[in-house]
Amino acid sequence: MTISQKELGLNPLPLLTPSAKACCSAEGGVGAGPGSPVVALVGAPNTGKSTLFNALTGARVTMGNWPGTTVEVSRGVWKSTARTATCECEDCDCDASDRPLDTTLIDLPGAYSLDPLSPDEELTRELLLSGPLDERPDLSVVTCDASRLTGCLYLVAQLCEKGLPIVIALTMMDVATKRGIEVDTAALAKEIGVPVVAIDPRRRSGLDALAATVRDTLTKPAPTPRPVPADADGLAIEDDRFAWVGQVVEAGSGAVAQNARTLSDKVDRWITAPVLGPLIFLAVMWLVFEVTTTVAAPLQDFLDGLFSGPVTDGASWLLGSVGLGGTWAEGLVVDGLIAGVGMLLTFVPLMILMFVLLALLEDSGYLARAAVVTDRLMRSIGLPGRAFLPLIVGYGCNVPAISGTRILPNARHRILTALLVPFTSCTARLTVFVMMGAVFFGPYAGTAVFAMYLSSILIIVVVGLALRGTLWRNEPIEPLVIDLPAYQLPTLRLTVSVTWVRLKGFLQTAAGIIVVTVCAVWLLQSIPTQPGQGFGEVSVADSAYGVVARGVAPVFEPAGFGSWESASTLIVGFVAKEAVISSWAQTYAVDEPEEGSEPGDLGSAVMATFTESSGGHPIPAALAFMVFLMAYTPCVATVAAQWREIGAKWTLFGFALQLVVAWTLAVAVFQIGRLLI
Amino acid sequence: MYVGMNLVKAPLGTPLTLVSAADDDGAAHRLASLGLRVGSRFSLIAKTAGGGRVVLVAGTRVALGRSLLRELRAEVAA
Repeated sequence: MTISQKELGLNPLPLLTPSAKACCSAEGGVGAGPGSPVVALVGAPNTGKSTLFNALTGARVTMGNWPGTTVEVSRGVWKSTARTATCECEDCDCDASDRPLDTTLIDLPGAYSLDPLSPDEELTRELLLSGPLDERPDLSVVTCDASRLTGCLYLVAQLCEKGLPIVIALTMMDVATKRGIEVDTAALAKEIGVPVVAIDPRRRSGLDALAATVRDTLTKPAPTPRPVPADADGLAIEDDRFAWVGQVVEAGSGAVAQNARTLSDKVDRWITAPVLGPLIFLAVMWLVFEVTTTVAAPLQDFLDGLFSGPVTDGASWLLGSVGLGGTWAEGLVVDGLIAGVGMLLTFVPLMILMFVLLALLEDSGYLARAAVVTDRLMRSIGLPGRAFLPLIVGYGCNVPAISGTRILPNARHRILTALLVPFTSCTARLTVFVMMGAVFFGPYAGTAVFAMYLSSILIIVVVGLALRGTLWRNEPIEPLVIDLPAYQLPTLRLTVSVTWVRLKGFLQTAAGIIVVTVCAVWLLQSIPTQPGQGFGEVSVADSAYGVVARGVAPVFEPAGFGSWESASTLIVGFVAKEAVISSWAQTYAVDEPEEGSEPGDLGSAVMATFTESSGGHPIPAALAFMVFLMAYTPCVATVAAQWREIGAKWTLFGFALQLVVAWTLAVAVFQIGRLLI
Repeated sequence: MYVGMNLVKAPLGTPLTLVSAADDDGAAHRLASLGLRVGSRFSLIAKTAGGGRVVLVAGTRVALGRSLLRELRAEVAA
């Protein structure tokens, strides 16, 4: 039985209805402007398409050695001909082919064929084939992996049947060579009847040749469609395509099949092995988080000292010298912006380490193996193995992970995955775990943080099982089919590039949210609730902020953190987990100015609060707080992403589910913990 | 009539020929577009966690889950 999205209460998938150069209106990025040629990048997942897009445009989209990375249409300006053009003059009579020409480049979602099995492939088909001819891309660059041509050429066969202008960009030539496959691009081009250019987008070679070829092809008429057998049924047409693919591969590489065993295959016998594979996966994950917590710590301490010391002192001196010392303005700058945003920036080293490690895992090809290893776990909660992909992305950030659920063909699987993603512990939460770990668990901080990640996995499994046994009962699961890219030595350029993109995204997101949040918190903390107090001259406990937090705090008493300070930071944490520590720092700094409280004293202040609110059981209370923090709503950005992907009804359901799970677990952890510790 | 063995029982490292495709049309089409269709020559190169296998076909390494392996039937290639 097929269930429509409407029946599920879903918003329609944001498939784009082609309009005037429809691809140009696709979300994300910028175009080269009206009148410029539109070139689409298409190809099977994991053929280097997104990496090529970034190399050509200089724009940044998510990329990596990972099937299904590109889940949204990105576009940018490809100054495709700037490097090959010889004309630099204005208003001249030079040949058109010598003049610079900007092109709008669109990175379409990966597709194995034009017969869509997922919303990604549906989107690609829509953009390439639907709508009037003059609204489609002027040309498509099809990325094909030279080491596995057969798996890439079915799509090419279909594109050729439609008579679409295409240029084939042949990637992974180095991998093919290592496997003993010598691809003859000229022979391939002759057999297919379209230009073929060998490139290496990871090292940015062959891009000028590709630019020249694209420019040349744009000036030529569309090719004659590849003939298909007349009056043939679907099966016969498929047979014809596969026969054509076989001919092309034989002509281009001299072999119909390339089944030689490689080093990657030998490695895979260990990496994906039944018992060893999961153990290696756990070890890798543990290593990632241990490194991020221990290596980043001294750098964080340095930056913390910098912001709480010289930066704060400098700002106070500056404000004092212009007559603003001791006023609300100093409070906003010192206790708000510097104590809050400044402290957030101290976690940049942590983020860099995490993103570098994730980039290395992606680029090396390991994460695809991790999806295979965890397939059984996913299946046990009613999800196919590929659902692991958005879930693991969630451990970096929940927002792209929610978008990543589009790689799942089944709508109900997408909803279930989107409901589980918020339980993956993102890096923003990691910052709080690291701080809490250092304060409450001392030398065992790394282990405490690791325990949070294990708990996160456990929550996903338990909640998944609960949903599978109720709302998702009898739901069929797509069989696991995942193509494994060759292991590759990660390149410095790609690792740095991906890390920078993610760090920038994190800071951009965090900065916007944090500034608003910190200012809102400062404002609430400055509004007096008792007569006789002036604006900005009120203690936090007596401020509007304190009143709101005090009203919420009793809810958390059974969990051991029913203080208004803890409750207030959880309220801020709903906006963004990045703001939790800054909010704490702000609260304590504002609350106890007479004692010279500074963000550097945050640990002891938090410890004292937890000791009091837990009746002398700060450790179980801290654990309960960490569990609550992990399980409740990650941030408003995640809620917005869910709203877009699975609709309002399921988003609100997820919101309630997260709060119920978080509170129940926190209470259980504290009540059991205080009996033991 | 003998229609080959399902892939759970097929030996590793032995050239095989697919004699029966997946029951599910979507899965069958996806495998076909990767090169694994009736008549294709391939081999199983590794066992995976959860009872799956890595299939090497036409230069592509594809990890298949246990449920799908049960649907596919193959015989040892001549």
